[in-house]
Parts: sequence; C-alpha cells; structure tokens
Amino acid sequence: MTAVEGQDVGYSSLIEEGRVHSAVFTDESIFEAELERIFYTYWVFLAHESEVAEPGDYCRKSIGRHSIVVARGTDGQVRAFFNRCRHRGTTVCRYEHGNAEFFRCPYHGWTYSNRGPLIGVPFPSRYDSDFDKGDIGLVPVPRLDHYRGFYFASLAEDGPSLIEHLGRSADYIDMFTQASPTEKIELSAGVSKSNFHGNWKFVGMDGYHVSFTHKTVQDLQVRRTGNAESRKTNSDRAPNLTVDLGGGHCRLDLSLTDRVEIGKATSSLIGEIPDTDAGRQYLAAMIERWGSEAEAYAKIRGSRDVHVHVWPNLQLIGSEVRVIRPLSSGYTEVFGYPAMLGGVPDQINERRLRGYEWFNGVAGFGSPDDREVFERNQIGLQSDKEPWLILSRGLTKAEVRDDGVVVGNITDEVTQRAQLRQWSKAMR
Amino acid sequence: MSTVAPSPAELREQVNAFLVHEADLADRHRYDDWLALWSPDGIYWVPCNEDDYDPARHVSIIYDDYGRLEERCFRLNSEAAHSQDPPSRLCRIIGNEHVSHDLVGDVRVRANMILVEVRSGEKNVYGARLEYMLLPEGDSFKIRQKKVVLLDNDEPLGNLTFLL
Repeated sequence: MTAVEGQDVGYSSLIEEGRVHSAVFTDESIFEAELERIFYTYWVFLAHESEVAEPGDYCRKSIGRHSIVVARGTDGQVRAFFNRCRHRGTTVCRYEHGNAEFFRCPYHGWTYSNRGPLIGVPFPSRYDSDFDKGDIGLVPVPRLDHYRGFYFASLAEDGPSLIEHLGRSADYIDMFTQASPTEKIELSAGVSKSNFHGNWKFVGMDGYHVSFTHKTVQDLQVRRTGNAESRKTNSDRAPNLTVDLGGGHCRLDLSLTDRVEIGKATSSLIGEIPDTDAGRQYLAAMIERWGSEAEAYAKIRGSRDVHVHVWPNLQLIGSEVRVIRPLSSGYTEVFGYPAMLGGVPDQINERRLRGYEWFNGVAGFGSPDDREVFERNQIGLQSDKEPWLILSRGLTKAEVRDDGVVVGNITDEVTQRAQLRQWSKAMR
Repeated sequence: MSTVAPSPAELREQVNAFLVHEADLADRHRYDDWLALWSPDGIYWVPCNEDDYDPARHVSIIYDDYGRLEERCFRLNSEAAHSQDPPSRLCRIIGNEHVSHDLVGDVRVRANMILVEVRSGEKNVYGARLEYMLLPEGDSFKIRQKKVVLLDNDEPLGNLTFLL
C-alpha cells in the first residue's frame, strides 16, 4: 500500500525539505518502528514530581504500550518500574494513583515493595533452594531523570543525558514554572483525557491554523476584550514567531502581541490577572520574587506564552502540561494536566482552571475543533494517489540564526519541519 | 409569589415535564431556547475523573457559569464550530427521577440519563447520573445547577461539544 513496503530502512526518504509523504502518518509498520526507535529509545516525559509528592505515593503511566509505575519509595526516592509481575506478567498496580507500601499481584500474591524488590512469595517450599527473590524485583526503566521536577524516562540503557536531550527546550520548562513566585508547579488538579482517531504527530505546533480552526475562539476573544487585535495574532503580518530549537523541540512565540496588566482583559487563554485582593497579592509576590513589576509581568507573560513542544511527547501550553500517548498510526490519546502554581492565592489557580477548561478538554471551545481536524486529516490521508503533503511555508524566508535556531513568522511551517527533521534522524 | 405550593404529585409531574422539555431542546440543538431555561446564577457542571470534588481545585470537563454558557451557545450557533459541523444526532432518555425540596425552597432532582450520539460514522452511548437544583417559577423552573456525572468521566473521551 505504501512507498516503503518491503524496505528495511529508508524512512528518511519520506521526508524532504518542504514536503512529507503521508505514509509517515498512516503506515502501521512505520508506527511500530516509531515505538522502537523514538518512544523506546529517546527520553520521554513520564510524570511530574508533584504526582508522587509523599513517600509511598505512586502513579501509573505509560510509555508506548508499556504500563509503568512511578513510585516514591518509603526512602523518599522516585523510581519507575514496568507494571508487570515477574511471575506471570500480571499488572501489579491497578489504580492510576494512590499511596502504598507494596504492590501485590492479584494472581498468586507475589508482593513487591514500593522500592521494587520482591518481598513475598506465598508457599515458597515448592521452589528449589537456588530460587532467589533478590533476582526478581520489579524491573526498573533503564534510565530515569528529572529536570525541575519533570521526570523523564529512557528505555535505552545508554545515550545522551536528559539535559543533553532537552537542549534549548529546558529554558522553556524554566519559563513555564516562573509564573509561580516559588517556581513550583503542581499537577494536583487532575487530568483531562481525550482521544482521537488520528496520528500522534498531528499534535504538533501550528501557528497557521488558529484563524481558521479556532475562528470561534477568536470571535469569543473579540467579544470579551472588545478588541479586534485578538484576530491578528496569527497572520503573515503578525510579529509572533515559530521557532525551531533543535532536536525536534520547537515552539510558537505568541508573546509579541501579548500584554500583561492587572485587570486588563486579554486574549491569553489563562485570562487576566484579576484586579482583586488575590490578584494584587499574586502580583506583589511576583514582584518580591523577580525584583520589579516589569519583570513580574515579563515572567507571567513568558510562562503563559511558552507554547513549547518537548519532543517527542510533551507540550507546555499556557497552563497545560500536555502528554501525547501514541497507540497506533491512527489512534492517539492526549492527557492534559492543568498546572497549578505554588505560592499563589487560591483564586489565581481557580482562574487557571476555568481558563484551561475554556479552551481545552473534550467540551472546551478550542481543542475539540483541533481533534475534528486531526480526524479529518487521517481520513484524507488514506487517499494517497498524490501522497505528498506541502510543508514549504516560510522555507526560504525563515531566518537561520548563528546558533542554529530557526525563526519564522507565526504562520510558517518551521515547527513542523523541525519535528520531521528530528523524526527522520531518529528513524534512520 | 402567591401561588399555592404544588402537591408532591404535581411537583413530580412539573419536574418531569421540565426535564423532558430540556432534553428535547438539547437533542435538537435549540441552543437559545435551552439557554433561556437557565437562571443567571446557574452553574453547568460536568465533573472530570471523580464524581464530586471542589471545582476550585480540580479540573472539570465543563464548569460553566451563565456567562460561559452564553459563550457556549454563541459558539455552537456560529458556522465555525467544526466539532459540531455537522451536529451530532442525539437521543436521550431521562428516568429514575427523585424529587425533593431543599431548605431554601429550590427543588432538588436526581435522575439517570442514557444518551445516544451518532456522528462521523460512530455511535456513542453515554450513561450519566444527573443532579439538578431548580428554582420554581410559576408552574415551571429555572436551572440553578445541573450536574452531569458521566460514568466514564475518568476515561479518555472524544467529542463532547454537544449539550449534555
């Protein structure tokens, strides 16, 4: 069915400068290779430290098809294990989160401590004397590391360190947390889970679609702010930018049309800082932390305009920590966690939640229209008589800076090319 | 407010008529007529992950005050809400109603809902427990709170942009 059938290598021939072959999104054998070469090789985002804040806390996550338990042991250390009993393979962790000193398999009662070792095997007398529980604890993921409380895992034994992998994208993880005067975020508000019948790579960074896919959002912003500027943030004449940070990481920079001022209506998805006691208290705490009102506003704007994709599976957008879960070439789940800020009045976080729900989730005013487009993409791509998609927007007009960062107009396809170039490299 | 309080049987009948009417407006995408059923202090709540919690501290699928409900209906009435173009075909049954009065005179209703949605070649069935707080007005009501507890509110969901 595809141009690549029967070929062992050559996926990179599916990506050319300025165009991409639709098999990249539709071919199931390519998806299997993506799991192996991207999701089971590179660093992927797993969990945030606030999800396992206390000793004994655990959460259940996934990497591709692997079910993973992230647990903070009674010794305080965070570990990640494959959620699979060493005996017959049953999952040992049933719930998405909780607190437990041990995980007990429901099949034959094998019991593991929350640090991983097998500590109990019922009726042990029928095993031989060389049967050693010490050899068969829960299998840890080969590598686990964190940056500012964001835990990433790599299923490869060796390779670049996490900080090497993150590269320039680490700066935007910093910025995301800096709307908090304590530089702490918490994923304490739960998760909004959605799915769509389409390829995981559609969940990218696209500054071009906003005026069309999200026309209703812009209409509502204009109604709310009384200012037609809200419609002009994502055009070929807007000052906003698309940025290729290298390594597949990329971002939209919407900060150039964003103004932060207490009480001032805004097109930001998070909404304005309220002109209330809570709003003024928040601003005062930010000025205390960052030194001046101008710098406090800059940090707030920086955070809400981060809009970064940390390749391959993490996005930080506005208040959202968005995690992409690839399940087949044509089926994807997206988990959105609204990040609560540490050290702020409750009203500030409550407004973040309401702002989050306004755009995001399965009944929001923005994300469902993206989902609709992704599903129509997947259907359209089945018609591969002419299989090439055009991604040449801004190809020669974008600026390549001395440090290798590529910067284009907000409607340029700099971001898509950034991700597909990395895809090509990973899939070699 | 000189009306005589309805008997329990009359109240149940009024509530049933109201819920059937509301369901019909939602099924037929009559957004403005549906919005007119709401009290200006109304809250439309579809919890996420759990059935009950403090919505100030936990994300919801929907937590609309009246202003946002009005935005929701404005959006759905526009031509560009792609996720409802074409609109979902909807059919719901409301049943197992339990009606009571609370201390301030609002009518509390608990009910179950089965909703079938057809769109884009897919059929989805949603089960939910409904909780209403209704403000009596003449022989009908205004909605002060509608809470829709979906059975699968902790699962990955698709497109819930129609009225629940």
